[in-house]
Amino acid sequence: MNTVSSAERRQAWGLCLNCWLILAAIFGIVWASFAYLSLDLMQLFTAEAGRGMADFVSRFFPPDTSAEFLRRIARGALQTVAISAIGTLLAAFAALLLALPAAGRFGALPKAASRLVLNFMRSVPELVWAALMVLAAGLGPFAGTLALALHTTGVLGRLFAESLENAPPEPARALLESGAAPSLAFVYGTLPVILPQCVAYSLYRWEMNIRMAAVLGFVGAGGLGQMLYYELSLLHEPQACAVIIAMLALVILVDAASAWVRRSQLRADG
Amino acid sequence: MSFRLVAAGLVHANGQRALRKVSLAARRGERIAVIGPSGAGKTSLLRILATSIRPTEGQVEVLDLYPWQLNGAQLRQLRSRIGLIHQAPPIPPRQRAITAILAGRLGQWPWWKALLSLLYPLDIAGPRQQLARLDLADRLFERCDRLSGGQLQRVGAARVLYQQPDLLLADEPVSAMDPALADLTVNQLHAEAASRGATLVASLHAVDLALRWFPRVVGLKAGEILFDLPPVKISDPMLRDLYASETGPLPTQDHQPLEFGPAGSRGPKSRITVVPPHPL
Repeated sequence: MNTVSSAERRQAWGLCLNCWLILAAIFGIVWASFAYLSLDLMQLFTAEAGRGMADFVSRFFPPDTSAEFLRRIARGALQTVAISAIGTLLAAFAALLLALPAAGRFGALPKAASRLVLNFMRSVPELVWAALMVLAAGLGPFAGTLALALHTTGVLGRLFAESLENAPPEPARALLESGAAPSLAFVYGTLPVILPQCVAYSLYRWEMNIRMAAVLGFVGAGGLGQMLYYELSLLHEPQACAVIIAMLALVILVDAASAWVRRSQLRADG
Repeated sequence: MSFRLVAAGLVHANGQRALRKVSLAARRGERIAVIGPSGAGKTSLLRILATSIRPTEGQVEVLDLYPWQLNGAQLRQLRSRIGLIHQAPPIPPRQRAITAILAGRLGQWPWWKALLSLLYPLDIAGPRQQLARLDLADRLFERCDRLSGGQLQRVGAARVLYQQPDLLLADEPVSAMDPALADLTVNQLHAEAASRGATLVASLHAVDLALRWFPRVVGLKAGEILFDLPPVKISDPMLRDLYASETGPLPTQDHQPLEFGPAGSRGPKSRITVVPPHPL
């Protein structure tokens, strides 16, 4: 009685037919991709490649820590923070303005129109906005600020609109029914409900935007990224290394700061 | 005339009937309690008087105006003279008590004063005085989500007292308070109405509170007015009929049985409404 019947075997294979199909598909796609791009992974593991990599990495060290260059890095880092701060702040204001129609406060047509605008702003990535803004506004931090503001408006606008839709209507309604103008009923009855959420979303996006601002410089939009691109183009590896370390430090700093802000926010709520 | 309903009816959007042919009128300065089992239409009646919902049938006239024939600005103007105390105070949770109370005058203040008051309250003494009447002055700057249910109800009442409306409506204003605080709060609503000649209409869950405090009591059942009498003329069978309870206890504040003495021995003991009434 310990033999397994062929019917049982068929059932066992059929337990997860999908799993087999998916595994086969993944292997097929990976193999086809390597073949199409004519990649040879083995090249990475030859002794020559190893020497080449070691040589490449060693050219970055030691990083340039001359006082003059560190001052430039500090200026670049400050510019990155400033770009992200202004970009996020502009976006938060624009998002609140667009979120009102997007939450359906002014009827169906403005709702659809503002949602379309928000979707468009959100679906174009920051880097693409930055490339466009460099063309429109010229090289420099202004282009980066605009790019961040445009994309972030799309993201925050949607989040704010959702907060607005989920906010309880009673407080504002009660104020309208005691004769308050709609704008004041909003400011006293709805805004206090959604504001903490909006501030939390904006802080989170700011954190992401600081990281993004460091990259945006690659298309000429100012800050640390632009410095990195410049030094790499001239093959100044020690300088580039210092910039990369500065970026890393900035991101760690921002993470720590936002964690601290969130913790203190929690305490304030408790 | 403070308000007048003529054969007013209300059918909710889901087809459920809330009020049927309700005719009710009050002179300026009258004080009326509305009692009845839950679902009788007490809240609907108050919300029609507050011009927050429009009756589906009949006529409504409030403070000598027909609210549903006014334009937007006129309706706002009328509504700033009507104050409704909600059973569950509609206040944003993080709002400070003082801000929530100041919001009562949004219909009367210019916009710049309202906006500036979010940053620095332009009137501190006013809200403090209203809270003090309700024994809550020490919570003036407290966040509303840190108040108990009864405290929050008093902040909601203080907002409407601060509004100083000509028509003061209250929907179960003391449902979350203990009997002593409930008495204090109803007392203050009366004092406010008396001092300014305002009309007071309050729906109450506790029959004893209604009979003790109000010179006119309206019994509402299944959307219709069952009686509209001074308390001395309201008998035990009428109340039992209203609450459809043959033997069970009538709803009172702390579940004390309602006692019926000889007619006239009960009723509003304090027309001078600042003296707390004797217990039944």
